[in-house]
Amino acid sequence: MSLSLSAPAGTAGRVRAGRLRLTLAPWLLILPSLVLTITIIGYPFYEIVRLSVSDVSRFGLVRGYAGLTNFSTVFADPIFRDALLRTLTWTVGVVGGTIIASVPVALVLRRDFIGRGLARTLIMLPWSISLAMAAIVWLWAFNADYGMINATLQQFGVLRTSVQWMAWPETAFPVEILIGIIVSIPFTSTILLGGLSSIPNEVYEAASIDGARRLQTFRHITLPLLAPFINIAIVLNVISVFNSFPIIWVMTQGGPDNSTHILVTYLYELSFRLGRPGQAAAVSLAMLAIVFTFTFVYLRLRVPEEA
Amino acid sequence: MIPRGTITRRIVRRTAISWLVLSPLLVLALLPFAVMLSTALKPLPEVTAFPPRWLPSRLAWQNFVDMWATVDFGTGLANSLFISLTATLLTILVSVPAGYAVSRLPFRGVGAYRQFLLVTKMLSPILLVLGLFRMAASIHIGDGTLVDTRIIVVVIYAAFNIAFAVWMLAAYFATIPIELEEAAWIDGANRLQSVVRIFLPLSLPAIAVTGIVTFVGSWNEFVVALTMLRDPSRLTLPLKVVNLVAGRYTVEWNQVMAATLLATLPVAVVFAALQRYLVQGLTLGAVK
Repeated sequence: MSLSLSAPAGTAGRVRAGRLRLTLAPWLLILPSLVLTITIIGYPFYEIVRLSVSDVSRFGLVRGYAGLTNFSTVFADPIFRDALLRTLTWTVGVVGGTIIASVPVALVLRRDFIGRGLARTLIMLPWSISLAMAAIVWLWAFNADYGMINATLQQFGVLRTSVQWMAWPETAFPVEILIGIIVSIPFTSTILLGGLSSIPNEVYEAASIDGARRLQTFRHITLPLLAPFINIAIVLNVISVFNSFPIIWVMTQGGPDNSTHILVTYLYELSFRLGRPGQAAAVSLAMLAIVFTFTFVYLRLRVPEEA
Repeated sequence: MIPRGTITRRIVRRTAISWLVLSPLLVLALLPFAVMLSTALKPLPEVTAFPPRWLPSRLAWQNFVDMWATVDFGTGLANSLFISLTATLLTILVSVPAGYAVSRLPFRGVGAYRQFLLVTKMLSPILLVLGLFRMAASIHIGDGTLVDTRIIVVVIYAAFNIAFAVWMLAAYFATIPIELEEAAWIDGANRLQSVVRIFLPLSLPAIAVTGIVTFVGSWNEFVVALTMLRDPSRLTLPLKVVNLVAGRYTVEWNQVMAATLLATLPVAVVFAALQRYLVQGLTLGAVK
């Protein structure tokens, strides 16, 4: 066959030809993936870098070089500064809450009990709703007049009167963080559950023979062995939560009065609503810098000591 | 020996504690489904009745029929299916060879390639959305551009899924013993034959998990579709549904909930059926 990549035996000439094909083969195999990612991710990236240092009209026409004006304008913009701080709260709140909730969930789901399969399935279910639709459902559930949250909380006497949840930033933003946590738990507990199943049972048996108490077992065996998985979960969640757009966009669109904007929603508004593409590109690059710095610093700090 | 009764009692106790610990989260996880179901089956007057109740007085299945017309659900469904299936197919076609190269053919530059994939994983579509839009607008086909075409959405979804897919597939491929292929070579098969007859059938589970994750990701994606697609005949389901709510004064919530429910159920069923494989698959992909 002419397509054979490397015949394992043959004359010297055939071996040499085989070698050549062997060095070329992996490149040919990864070529389609490289072409696709470099065009679709590389070109827009280049475009954003170009826009960020250009004077761009409302309609996206590049009028000339602008140096770092876009960056200085954006960094001086109070909405951007607020959104930056709020993004920090959002990311730390959602990822922190997710990890804190997911560790016990994974621990429970790892133990053998009646109906465990059902419990695992139910916990994973929110994963299947698209974020945009989940946001719509929660928006309706938190509706001040007809939403089931107010109705149920009043029925159980937790609330006296209806709360206008989405009308005020003091309630709207925490509600959005809570929803962020709920939708992140399935993925996170799945990763942690996988991590827990990789710990051999013998380790626990040995610990219990040595008379370890449950808390000791958790602190000295489970947690250290789970740590790499928690780290992976933190990194992946930080990246996705930092970039998470649909929940806030659908529930409050950054409002009321820009009080729930995080960087991604403000970025979208700058790009397509406010007609400030140059500044939007600057925000994009600032966000990329944050994601890269976080990922590399975190992986540097955390991973080597455990490996 | 521990008597049998003690073991049974221990399991019963553990079961009670486990469900108790999980209960607050279960309530929050199932609440959206309860809300969808409850509202989707209410007759319109009861949707805005005060105080609202969980149970409808009668099951208004008509909501689903009405919704199908108002949302133009069929069009949205067809678009979502077409875009997600094509994107999944493209991702798999491109990622399987790459994953094979990474796990089976040691080559100089494999480290750099993996690094590159990691970097693309961090560049989420939202951060590049302005660049993506300008790229699509600058490519002319026929009498228009790639803006407002399904194909650009497909290609973008595939490109952003490659990193995950290659990672995941390479991790799984590494667990397939190479001896199986070597045995085939000794029997006179060439590399391509051994890949097609031995390697690919063995890697089907990983390909399936990767495909499902890609499909669901594309099915649920929002921001790229929101930016690229304009014409109602090309919108995906999430967009169709969001359009019923965003910027409207009157929202027919029973129809909206019927639409979200109908769009979610198929994915929920797939997840429920494959939950066990997802745990195994994602762990491999996440750690390697």
